[in-house]
Amino acid sequence: MSQQIHAGSSVSHTSFLDLWREKNDQLVRQAKVVQDTQLSLRRQQLAQDTLEGLRKLLWGLQGLPATVPVLPLELTVTCNFIILRVSLAQGFTEDLAQDIQRSLKRVLETQEHLEPRLQQSLRELWESVLHASSLLPELLSALHLLAGLQAALWLSTDHLGDLAILLQTLNGSQGRTSEDLLLLFKSWNPPVEKSDGPLTLQNAQSLRAVLLTAFAYQQGLQELITGNLPRALRNLHEAASGLCTRPVLVQVYTALGTCLRKMENPQRALLYLIEALKVGTDCSLPLLEASRLYRQLGDTSAELESLELLVEALSVIRSSKSPQLLIEAELLLPQPDQASPLHCVTPSQAKHLLASRCLQIGREEDAAEHYLDLLALLLDGSEPRFSLLPCPPGPCVPEVFLETAAALIQAGRAQDAFTVCEELLSRTSSLLPKMSQLREGARKGSKELPYCQLWVSATHLLQGQAWVHLKAPKEAVSEFSRCLELLFCTTPEDKEQGAGFNYEQGCSSEAALQQLRVAALISRGLVWVASNQDTKALKDFLLSVQIFPGSRDASYYLLQTLRRLDRKDDATALWQRLEAQTELTQKEATRSLPLYLETYLSWIHPTDCETFLEEFRTSLLEPHDQ
Amino acid sequence: MADAARRVSYLAGFSCPLGGLAAGKPRVLCHEAEVFLSTGSEFVYVYDQEGGLLTAVYQFPDQVWHLQLLARRGALYVLCARKGVYCLSVEPGSSAASRAGEDSLGGELPCPVVPVDPAACAVPDVALCAFAVLDDLLVTLVQGPAQWKMQLFERPHPGEDPQLGGPIGEVELSTCNPPAGVPEKPAAPRFLPVLCCMFPPGARDPHGHSQGHGGFVLKEALFGLLFGADATLLESPVILCGLPDGQLCCVVLKALATSRSAPGDPKALVKILHHLEEPAVFIGALKTERPAEEAAEEVLPEEGQHSDCLVALGHQGRALAIKASWNESGSLVPELREYWLPGPMLCAACGAGGRVYLSTPLDLCVVDLAQGSAPSDPQQPHRDLGSLPLELCPTSLSICSVLTLSVSSRTPAGGTELLALTAKGRLVSCSVDLNSKKTDSARVSVANAGQRIKELLSGIGDISERVSFLKKAVDQRNKALTSLNEAMNVSCALLSSREGPRPVSCTTTTAWSRVQLQDVLMATCLLENSSCFSLERGWTLCVQVLASASALDLGAAGPAVTYTIPVDSLGPGSRREVTLPLGPSESGEFELPVTVSCTLFYSLREVVGGALAPADPLEAPFLEEQPLDLLPEQEGICLPLSKHTVDMLQCLRFPSLVAAHTQAPRLPGPAHDPVDAFLETCQPPGSQPSGPASLRAKYLPPSSASVRVSAELLRAALEAARSGVPLCSATLQWLLAENPAVDIIRARALSSIQGVAPDGTDIHLVISEVAVTDLSPAGPIQAVDIQVESPSLADMCRAHHAIVGRMQAMVTKQAAQGASAPDLRLQYLRQIHTNHEALLREVQALRDRLCTEDEASSCATAQRLLQVYKQLRNPSLVLL
Repeated sequence: MSQQIHAGSSVSHTSFLDLWREKNDQLVRQAKVVQDTQLSLRRQQLAQDTLEGLRKLLWGLQGLPATVPVLPLELTVTCNFIILRVSLAQGFTEDLAQDIQRSLKRVLETQEHLEPRLQQSLRELWESVLHASSLLPELLSALHLLAGLQAALWLSTDHLGDLAILLQTLNGSQGRTSEDLLLLFKSWNPPVEKSDGPLTLQNAQSLRAVLLTAFAYQQGLQELITGNLPRALRNLHEAASGLCTRPVLVQVYTALGTCLRKMENPQRALLYLIEALKVGTDCSLPLLEASRLYRQLGDTSAELESLELLVEALSVIRSSKSPQLLIEAELLLPQPDQASPLHCVTPSQAKHLLASRCLQIGREEDAAEHYLDLLALLLDGSEPRFSLLPCPPGPCVPEVFLETAAALIQAGRAQDAFTVCEELLSRTSSLLPKMSQLREGARKGSKELPYCQLWVSATHLLQGQAWVHLKAPKEAVSEFSRCLELLFCTTPEDKEQGAGFNYEQGCSSEAALQQLRVAALISRGLVWVASNQDTKALKDFLLSVQIFPGSRDASYYLLQTLRRLDRKDDATALWQRLEAQTELTQKEATRSLPLYLETYLSWIHPTDCETFLEEFRTSLLEPHDQ
Repeated sequence: MADAARRVSYLAGFSCPLGGLAAGKPRVLCHEAEVFLSTGSEFVYVYDQEGGLLTAVYQFPDQVWHLQLLARRGALYVLCARKGVYCLSVEPGSSAASRAGEDSLGGELPCPVVPVDPAACAVPDVALCAFAVLDDLLVTLVQGPAQWKMQLFERPHPGEDPQLGGPIGEVELSTCNPPAGVPEKPAAPRFLPVLCCMFPPGARDPHGHSQGHGGFVLKEALFGLLFGADATLLESPVILCGLPDGQLCCVVLKALATSRSAPGDPKALVKILHHLEEPAVFIGALKTERPAEEAAEEVLPEEGQHSDCLVALGHQGRALAIKASWNESGSLVPELREYWLPGPMLCAACGAGGRVYLSTPLDLCVVDLAQGSAPSDPQQPHRDLGSLPLELCPTSLSICSVLTLSVSSRTPAGGTELLALTAKGRLVSCSVDLNSKKTDSARVSVANAGQRIKELLSGIGDISERVSFLKKAVDQRNKALTSLNEAMNVSCALLSSREGPRPVSCTTTTAWSRVQLQDVLMATCLLENSSCFSLERGWTLCVQVLASASALDLGAAGPAVTYTIPVDSLGPGSRREVTLPLGPSESGEFELPVTVSCTLFYSLREVVGGALAPADPLEAPFLEEQPLDLLPEQEGICLPLSKHTVDMLQCLRFPSLVAAHTQAPRLPGPAHDPVDAFLETCQPPGSQPSGPASLRAKYLPPSSASVRVSAELLRAALEAARSGVPLCSATLQWLLAENPAVDIIRARALSSIQGVAPDGTDIHLVISEVAVTDLSPAGPIQAVDIQVESPSLADMCRAHHAIVGRMQAMVTKQAAQGASAPDLRLQYLRQIHTNHEALLREVQALRDRLCTEDEASSCATAQRLLQVYKQLRNPSLVLL
């Protein structure tokens, strides 16, 4: 009698186990069908349903006391649940640790001598479970998969110490404390799943391969950033030879390119970039890197070409591929931040890069066209995808306007430059102080004026230069004067006020303010010179030298004017000072200036400076000899 | 201001749950004559104001949290809890077409309920908490595990295949605390974040967004000041976001386009404007500048609509207003002012003329932000930059518990029409005419007298509702105070009377009774209030029943069960009886002795908590935590009353005695004792059959123990009770004093008795007088020998423990009275002492051996141990 009852209960037990197993297998198959569903919405809902199914199944299993025959299924369901959850959420969350912890405690509950202690850390739990697992060979395959997930969690949360100990325990080598995680990953050999076991979404072997790639890549990238290039190269090679998806492969190849470029190995770098382009999913990263490489090589036409291609590549709307319902290397990689060499650019940033490089290299026609395109993209905004402004640390939007105007002036399109300047002025007018009050404030000696004065005065400066190009000295002088008027009311401290509300700091600086003043004074002086009003010119040049004694250009023009006015003593004194100066001071001062100002300063740079100075020197010597 | 003229008219009623609707989730939107409304349930109603009827009801799969209408595009966007954003077409005609054939569903509602197609879910996301729709963009706010994430999508169109590519851009905002609840199924958040879109004046056609529907056009100066030159230059819309932690941050939408390889940097994209330090419930903008009469013509109608003041409201009533102004040197500076208004805020809306309508559970009021700005001085060059008022004075509109507000687009000339949904589910329209009072009295004529009366009546209705609500709150507070006072009196009385009878007492007695074919030992606790105060609501009697861990270690505490019995009302002189079972437990075992402790507990949470949280359901969701957090964790007053130990002697039953009087219920006999069954099977086949009793006697002699007490000591202790009764009988009476059978024992003057333990085994108590000879040099000492005998070792131990306990109590008492000990023979005592020490040492050794030995030898050890224990239980000592 009693035997019959026993037999009956065991039958129902196994049949329940079979039912649950069947449910697990069916959910896994469903998830694999969902994988291939095209419609993103339906896909998401189906995947969510599958996740719910797995959760309910898990609840059912965990409602029973833990027993060894049921545990392999329970652990497999837990793994499937975690895999699906992570791939749906596209990231690891801290509470996954609790799921893992619960499973481990359940394993320990079956072992009488290994009752889970309270407050046992996850690492200690793993140790006791893996020691106990030698007694439970049927659990081994599921435990290795769970350990793989734990490794992924620790890798993504940067718990490398725990990870190393886990891998050592998995490899059964506690004695040998090899700290090289890469080696540990390589020597980890998860058991092959039995063909008759419950289905899994992802097996331990593939998880191990993904972890290996992700870890190697992550390490390589970190070492690339810290400058440990040979080790970075080794790790990245490891990542490239591992199992990774095509987007990750592109990133790895690009990182290899960057690494080799920094190791002064441009030809090999180029080969990797070409490899990356051949993978063919996303060309923008390798193209950006290629432009940097060509820039380093000094091959401007190739650099511009790759930038043009980059702009084109970014303008193509890529259909975002829905992610796999598996744990892939992407999930384990941190998002590239601004400092990362793999941080890509937005379309507008790419366009700006191209335009500014054209301007710097001296292809002003192209620069002007690119700048106008960029402004159109930014201001039109019909396509939200393209209407983005360049992010810091790039220039802010007003500076893009100013660069555009500078490029247009350089390309000889003064009228267009006026249009751009007018646009800038009209759009910022509301932010400017009222002029009546400004004058009042200036009279009172108040120095509190908004920072955005800098851009407005720069606009006037460019407008003045445009008038110079149009041979209209009167208008030019009035613009320069306007510019100077604004500039002398502005102090760099102004950017402090309203700091909580404005984040344009950094766009203005003391150096920029000083250089703007010098540039405006020299420009006005040059107009006076052109209209033969040397005394007025003298005043402006003198003032500019006083503002910034290190400016060679200003000193040169002053010297020239003094000489023209035949004030030999002053000229000689100035020349001696000029001789004593090194050329470094001016170079240093112009180093960190905004591009529009740099361009502007190049316009007013005297071309025949050295010959004049030589001539002056001889002329100085002649009368001395006489 | 205080004389605001208003007219309230009731439009429709919607079903609301018992206790009213919850705040935070209902929404009302109006577009021309149509009103779109959600009450926080899964329905969205469309009501036609002109026809005065419902035209459509949409049913969603879960609660609706937010609505937004893009009227120009004929699209309604609905946030469905734990599902995502749905997009519906509300073009006139299209809804009717989709309703065809659904008539059968509309049972109780005048129009059919249309279940929304799951395919209309445009942005599925279980964690989506807020959204805002722009002309071509959709901004959503998702609650991540640790951070809020803002995502930007291209605007989905109704009716289209909702196949959104991924988000165009996304950025993470500040940290957030995920709502409590099971991590798998998060509870609905108490506060939803608030999103609001701000447009620069030149923005490409923001007119699709009528004001109040999630979008405002700000004046250039304010826009540039708040959001920077980049946003101004790009003419980009900006999303303002008010988070439940009080943070106000903004994101320039044109900057928010990111990709996986170029993710958004929160530091560059998200700017924190302010921190309210309480959940943000509303963000809006309004025009505070009052157009000068002569200048009104010059201003373009569009230009005049632009808002020059940003307003944000926190749940506790903190309000923030920001305007742009110039300082004396001419630069643009923000003018920022914080106000504290009476909270909690349920909802708010910005109206014309610088007015903000605020709703609290008590009132709907208006504040005027334009009052500070002097209207129009042509001489002053910057008249558009008036300053904010120093203080805000809310003007009551006398409508309470409005959950959601909408400023109607059909604004009557000179006034404002508000649409409001109250907590009772009523949709009302309220026209507010804040300036018309002066002419009001003159206008009363026969023609509008009827209208006037109607208004007055509805006003009276509103006010009476409000009065009853306030009265209720006051009553509740008074009640709580009275109750607290009483509680203090009771506590003082109890705590100050350490000696003598306590004003509130609790006595415990035990008795056997038969419940469901099983004998159960019931304890009866009698709570008696002999004080002059009464115990009211809030008091609970806590009875803790603490069983001992096991028979072999009777001192250790075992499992405890606590019964909590609310004392509803116990007036002076009244008593309450509580009966509760002590055993047997489910496994049929009795873990004696059992300690029954009675405590009075006064719950502050129940009494004061109820008063602090007004019974109004409107506030309940907000207040359920806050005031109670002020109270400590285990808030309450705890007064111990009594402690009573129930031991074996009290639980003994004497069927042999009772049988003489009444037919005693059959006790669970030892018929099914497994030991007997075993003994039966052990019988050798040839032997003559004998009953288990004899076998038991043969193989399992009963365990026994004895206690000796000097007769003198007992006589002294039992003086009062012993009046002519022999000492042995008196001792038995004393031992069984708390047993119900004591009367029979007294009547028959028994000196030995056979009882039955709770589990059915027999227990013999034999009391005899003996003379102890060797102890005293003065000759033999008269002593009383109390012998306990039972086949069950455990029961014997329990009885012995009980007897020893009583003896100890008695001896302590006698010692206090200074009874002198007789002369003793020390040598003899010492020897007994050494004997006992030797025995104890042997016990220790045997126990140690028991742990290490294997089964065969441990059996012998155990037997020896039992013998030693037996020796120990029969001491030659006498209690003197």
